[in-house]
Amino acid sequence: MLQFDRISLAEQTESLRAEVREFLKDNDQHFPLPISDFTTGHDPEFSRKVGDKGWIGMCWPQQYGGSERSFFERYVVTEELVSAGAPVSAHWIADRQSGPLLLRFGTEQQKQTYLPQIARGEAYFSIGMSEPDSGSDLASVRTTAVKEGDQYRINGTKIWTTDAHRNHYIICLVRTEPPSENRHAGLSQIIVDLKNDGAQAKPIKNIAGNEEFNEVVFEDVMVPADRIVGEPGNGWTQVTSELAYERSGPERFLSAYRVFVELVRACGESPAPHEAAAIGRIAAHFMTLRRMSISVAGMLENDKDAVVEAALVKELGNNFEKEVVEVARLAAPMAARSPRFRDTFEQTLLLSPSFTLRGGTREILRGVIARGLGLR
Amino acid sequence: MSEAQSTQQLILDTAGRIFNDHCNKPLLDRAEQGHLAETLWGQIAENGFNLLGTADSGTSAQDMFAFIQLCGNHAVPLPIAETLLVNRWCGPGDGLFSVGEVADGRIVEVPWGRAVQKVVGVQRNSDTVFVVNAPEVVEQGVNMAGEPRDVVSLPDTAEQLTVADAWAQMAVARSNQIAGSLLKLLDLGILYSSERIQFGRAISKFQAIQHSLAIVAAEAAAAKRAADAAVDALDGDRFVFEVAAGKARVGEAAGLVAEQIHQVHGAMGFTHEHQLHHYSRRAWAWRDEYGNEFYWQALLGSHLANLGADQVWSFIATRG
Repeated sequence: MLQFDRISLAEQTESLRAEVREFLKDNDQHFPLPISDFTTGHDPEFSRKVGDKGWIGMCWPQQYGGSERSFFERYVVTEELVSAGAPVSAHWIADRQSGPLLLRFGTEQQKQTYLPQIARGEAYFSIGMSEPDSGSDLASVRTTAVKEGDQYRINGTKIWTTDAHRNHYIICLVRTEPPSENRHAGLSQIIVDLKNDGAQAKPIKNIAGNEEFNEVVFEDVMVPADRIVGEPGNGWTQVTSELAYERSGPERFLSAYRVFVELVRACGESPAPHEAAAIGRIAAHFMTLRRMSISVAGMLENDKDAVVEAALVKELGNNFEKEVVEVARLAAPMAARSPRFRDTFEQTLLLSPSFTLRGGTREILRGVIARGLGLR
Repeated sequence: MSEAQSTQQLILDTAGRIFNDHCNKPLLDRAEQGHLAETLWGQIAENGFNLLGTADSGTSAQDMFAFIQLCGNHAVPLPIAETLLVNRWCGPGDGLFSVGEVADGRIVEVPWGRAVQKVVGVQRNSDTVFVVNAPEVVEQGVNMAGEPRDVVSLPDTAEQLTVADAWAQMAVARSNQIAGSLLKLLDLGILYSSERIQFGRAISKFQAIQHSLAIVAAEAAAAKRAADAAVDALDGDRFVFEVAAGKARVGEAAGLVAEQIHQVHGAMGFTHEHQLHHYSRRAWAWRDEYGNEFYWQALLGSHLANLGADQVWSFIATRG
């Protein structure tokens, strides 16, 4: 479990990397202030351009709009986009999570309907997991979907739903059977069209002053029965497998990368020893985390179970990306701080509480790791 | 599994069995009292483990450092990492050898200088190394783990060799030894917390303990990955920077892991009688040998600052 394989990216990934960098240079008007947090920057025009390049749904079959490339090639594209601070949030969840979920568990019709739109950078998804009374204890969700003929009637409230007010679809974890002794039973995932089905998304302003996450209310929202993802009742298995994909990518340790870049800039060519040490410390962590994250990509490529390894990367990565902001604050000389340093630093610090909350809190992840260690 | 991987696994399995059987608390205590573990050394030599990575051995530098990591895991109380590196630099030899740092016309911090047939003096800022046969020990000492660290004289007649980054290679050895010891500390923490009963149950069932061990697991895994990466950079043009990242990251993990694992062990782990200190004290000692975190962080950071803010990503985003 603690073995993170030593993987070298194939030589052909270098030309892909160069192509992504070229693309970013040509499109830098989309991100005048680069921020590496993947939830920052919802830009459909940019996402469509990424889709045009074939960089969304990269690992999916061509028949669904994918380009059948390896997890490593996808890794290269994602880390280039995130480290550059490009505005990826519109397509990010659909590409990373919803698409792979549909590919693995969805019906043929769902794959044909949604995957090509996602791959073109035109369909954006939100994750409907948390509820006002169900956060870390996800199995306690109370939103119901009751079958009525060839439709489901959905009632309940989802919360902390990133971009629900501007995305096209949400995949909700719902109760399709009343709660029973097995609390993981009777849960299903269902796709709701946020533009047309009557769900009400209300943005909730966060401490950075941004309106990104939402409360989404479902009052007798009727959707066709064929929107259930996979088998009714299989929801718990599906969400847990979905989370493994969510937890180990480069966005789990690069959220504060642009702060690091501004720190290096502020310290100049000949930094004082303590400044150099601050830079070197952060770099050493980035280099190690990146290698661990690539090892997990290798496990996913080989269909290996990577739940614990992904949790280890996220645990280390999220704590570290918070620290980057603090180290930059302490090390960067005040007089050398550019307006860009200040904006990048302040925005990232204000976003940083979310780093160890989203995608499973620090506390939940430590539980996952402890289970992997045989302690529970 | 590739052929190279299965060769390495065979080496580690065989050596692991020997260490499990023979490298135990009584042996570590005796070594700390200054007795060389001759029987254990004999078993290592008998299996040819002291020649790993040398020409004609059919093994690689990766195998050698994986073995060094395993020695760290078992706190093998011999200058085995030093012997392996001397054989790598000077060609294979039969004896037990050591390595120290040249300072003021002497070679200092020499593990088991008193017991070895040859000492190589390395320098931080030079590729010239000095080979001293039948070394004369002028001062005996120990590090905070009780491991012999002696001073030997450096005669004018010492043979000089050019070995690129010999000092940095020693840092890679220490990084791997530390990574091994951190994995051991994790194992000890899991074991102890599963056996210790308080409030009517094993303390491993408490969330506070589980979270401590989860942190340790993450740090130990990172340390291992960082140490391995430095090995893979051997002979490459960014070797010294990968050593820097590795030793800095591993050293940071060492302090954190030792602290957490001692906390998990309570007062029991604070006794000399318990085996824990043989591993924790080594981790503490080794992180300062051949460059501590600050030294390597500053070296890496200076290089990156010199490259410039917009070039840093290209430096980090390597293929390997």
